[in-house]
Amino acid sequence: MESNKSKSFSIVGKPVPIKDAKEKVTGSIKYAIDFALPDMVFGKILRSPHPHARIKSIDITRAKALPGVIGVVTYKDAPDLNWESCWFNYRGHILDNRVRFVGDEVAAVGAINEDLAEQALKLIKVDYEKLPAVFDPEEALKTGAPQVRVEGNAREPRVTTWGDVTKGYKESDIVVQSSMAFESQQYAPIGRNACIAEWAGDKVTMWTSTQTPSEARSAVAQAFGIQINKVRVIGLPSGCSMGIWWINNFHMMTVLLAKKICRPVKIELTQEESFAAVKRRHLERSRGQIGCKKDGSIMFLDIKHIIDNGGYGFKPDVGQLICDLWGRCPHGRFIVQAVSTNLLTAGCMRGVGDVTLGAFTERLLDKAAVKLNTDPLEFRLKNHIRVGDPLRKVGKGLANYKTPPDLKDNWPAPYILSSEAIHECLIKGAKRFGWKEKWQGWGKPLSVEGPKRRAVGMGSGTHCCGVEMEGNTSAIVRVHMDGSVTLCCSMGRHGQGSETTQAQILSETIGISIDQIDVEAGDTQVSPWSHGSIASNTTFRTGFATREAGLDAKRQILEIAARHYLKEDPGQLDIKDSVIYNQDDPGQSIHLKELMSRLLPDALTPPGIIGRPTVQMPPSTTFSRQFAVQFVEIEVDIETGQLKLLDYLAAQDSGKVINPKSLENQVIGGAIIGSGFAMVESLVFDKQTGRILNPNFLDYKVLRAPDFPIQPEVIFCESHDPVGPYGAKGAGESPMAAAIPAIAQALYNAIGVWVDVPMTPEKILKALDKI
Amino acid sequence: MINIKLNINGIVCEFEIEPHEILSDLLQKKMGLIGVRTSCSKGECGACTILMDGKPVVACMILAMQAEGKEILTIEGVGTYDNLHPIQEAFIEEHGFQCGFCTPGVIMSTKNLLETKPDASSSQIAMSLSGHICRCGAYPKIIKSVQKAAQKLEENHGE
Repeated sequence: MESNKSKSFSIVGKPVPIKDAKEKVTGSIKYAIDFALPDMVFGKILRSPHPHARIKSIDITRAKALPGVIGVVTYKDAPDLNWESCWFNYRGHILDNRVRFVGDEVAAVGAINEDLAEQALKLIKVDYEKLPAVFDPEEALKTGAPQVRVEGNAREPRVTTWGDVTKGYKESDIVVQSSMAFESQQYAPIGRNACIAEWAGDKVTMWTSTQTPSEARSAVAQAFGIQINKVRVIGLPSGCSMGIWWINNFHMMTVLLAKKICRPVKIELTQEESFAAVKRRHLERSRGQIGCKKDGSIMFLDIKHIIDNGGYGFKPDVGQLICDLWGRCPHGRFIVQAVSTNLLTAGCMRGVGDVTLGAFTERLLDKAAVKLNTDPLEFRLKNHIRVGDPLRKVGKGLANYKTPPDLKDNWPAPYILSSEAIHECLIKGAKRFGWKEKWQGWGKPLSVEGPKRRAVGMGSGTHCCGVEMEGNTSAIVRVHMDGSVTLCCSMGRHGQGSETTQAQILSETIGISIDQIDVEAGDTQVSPWSHGSIASNTTFRTGFATREAGLDAKRQILEIAARHYLKEDPGQLDIKDSVIYNQDDPGQSIHLKELMSRLLPDALTPPGIIGRPTVQMPPSTTFSRQFAVQFVEIEVDIETGQLKLLDYLAAQDSGKVINPKSLENQVIGGAIIGSGFAMVESLVFDKQTGRILNPNFLDYKVLRAPDFPIQPEVIFCESHDPVGPYGAKGAGESPMAAAIPAIAQALYNAIGVWVDVPMTPEKILKALDKI
Repeated sequence: MINIKLNINGIVCEFEIEPHEILSDLLQKKMGLIGVRTSCSKGECGACTILMDGKPVVACMILAMQAEGKEILTIEGVGTYDNLHPIQEAFIEEHGFQCGFCTPGVIMSTKNLLETKPDASSSQIAMSLSGHICRCGAYPKIIKSVQKAAQKLEENHGE
């Protein structure tokens, strides 16, 4: 592993335009919905009208008889196998004889066009035996509640605990209790998705927009009980995904239909299906207490958090990294209880857990600070985690993880935080925002003008930098005959500019210009296994693999150059702008293109250089975290309940910044989606059936350009991670976690009441007892 | 079936269409103009925004037959990969997007804004884009891109 502290950078840290920028501004980039095969059949899915039912019989005769219909699949055609999406975002059969939420898949029709397929759906006759259903997570936990799954509703609680909370209670001068109920956020993807599947003999190829090509391939193999080498996933770019487009059951329906009718099939989801039939953020409820000394030190945190998985989610927890952010306190207990309901499947959405459980933890912190009459900034400065502190959240199966003995010198110690600039985020952010001048004390607005009150608030957030569940990520660097390079890493393309950051890392590592690098991020046939760009993996873990693969390629290049051309020790050589040169005598050199195109005298072939990582990253959850601190000024009208964001500042610790403009987009994008959840976003479920009543942008509101401050400020506080590529860390998720606490706190300061999210005018007026 | 004739990106086209056919489908499926992104099909997200006789419209809310005799401009007619429009250059330089799904529609609205109000203030720019959803939340950089595009167009105009 190369040291991170060695040199000044040529391209790392530069705001280069993203690699596919021209495709995006010309509208020529192809998402899966734009993709087609010449002989494909169009599929449509029949969905359940009931939240919970058993299929007694299903008659497809009339549908099959409709001219133009090629075939139909029902549960009778599905393998008797469960498949699991990454992080247990789905667990179940492709189809079975039960439906578990309104919108659940029942059958699929393939026809020569979409209209006919749609018509045929109406000709399928299903006889359902309705079963009792449960929609509330707390109800679903009760004895005697309708059971959504054969495994039962309740997952085993996940407990993160340290010290002894009873002792913490006794040692505390003040104790504050609170609770919060969250509504469910929808990914609300304006980029819909499609899946095209084609079988050739016993092999299947799938084209779809996905963040997780490798995991999609594994899941298809699992769902159909076939070998991984029989599945090829070609991951296409997606619209803003935030977790929705991994691998979903509609993909499996497409593969199943294609298999049965022996034709390539395309299933394209409508906007309504994307909202109401794929997945959503969990419904979450938090309850807990905090204890502090009079001097403001937190003595304990004790939190119980419930999440609902909907029909097919199977997550036992939400990755509560937030307990690390405040894990300095001597005693803590975070219990996460997951439960199934007859609602749309729930899964990981950007900042999973750290947005919700994080917001609740911040609520407890704030309430304690109110009681102690302490500035929230000072309170956080006193209690936040520091480098060298123990990490509390221990990954499953990693409790006994030890640093490999041969790598001890530069490897971080397990379960000790390796880098942190949250302190700097708090100090610099507050200074730049003018916190000291604007902060008026708890429950005190900055100004009052008629019904309009202005106030400020601040919040913090954290998240992991990738998770090593199921294995480590990899990357392959192929150097071609003309000296150009293809970087293969399976991470998908959903807008964060990952190909560009990876190319910057590789460019820096080898010493070639970024224009010489192309990135293949979607085709599992050429890219090695990876988690994809989820859990803030990409810059940190894929970037590590990319750099290691780059170093391996560079080592091979230098060895060939040394042996055949420059007759020097390879350690004496380096590469700059594709020229391999002797560091003592730069005139002694050979261009990479020349080296790669000449036949090697001993093999009579051009050199074949394939770089692979020779070192694997240590489990990232055992040492690294990303941090965000955000400050907001709001205006609320106490007559109308209208809440406006006037000013926003986001301070971010994502380690060394690889591409500042991409990262600014990620940070502010996160703040905006977090603010949307804080202020307007909420799925509405019908009380009788659990049906989603607002599956479209007309009724599900999101923030638009005029709803967020026009010129928010972003400050980067670069901690130096000892392992991340050039010191970089994860980025995309913590910015989303800091928004809710900041806005909620500002609102409290404006009106003196805490409001649950989303803080809609209605909820604000109710909190003020005006309606 | 109805016959219509219209001008799409400078090319005169004739189609035989169904009376219920939607303009976005015609442009996307019959003309292969995938830059007309269809998402909500309800006129809410702005992704399929095009210019019809110079004015921005959401193509999913217009019947194809309403486009009879009209001049249609889609993103494909604004600039090409090797010959970008200054607005497209500005969006690239300022990182005015992330996933790119909303981008063609946003650029079409920007083109109209800068033609009708080249000196629009940042809040006027934000308001003019209120018909568009950028789920990535790139709004601040979109607004900067529009400002930069305005500068570029003014400089070009001065030459």
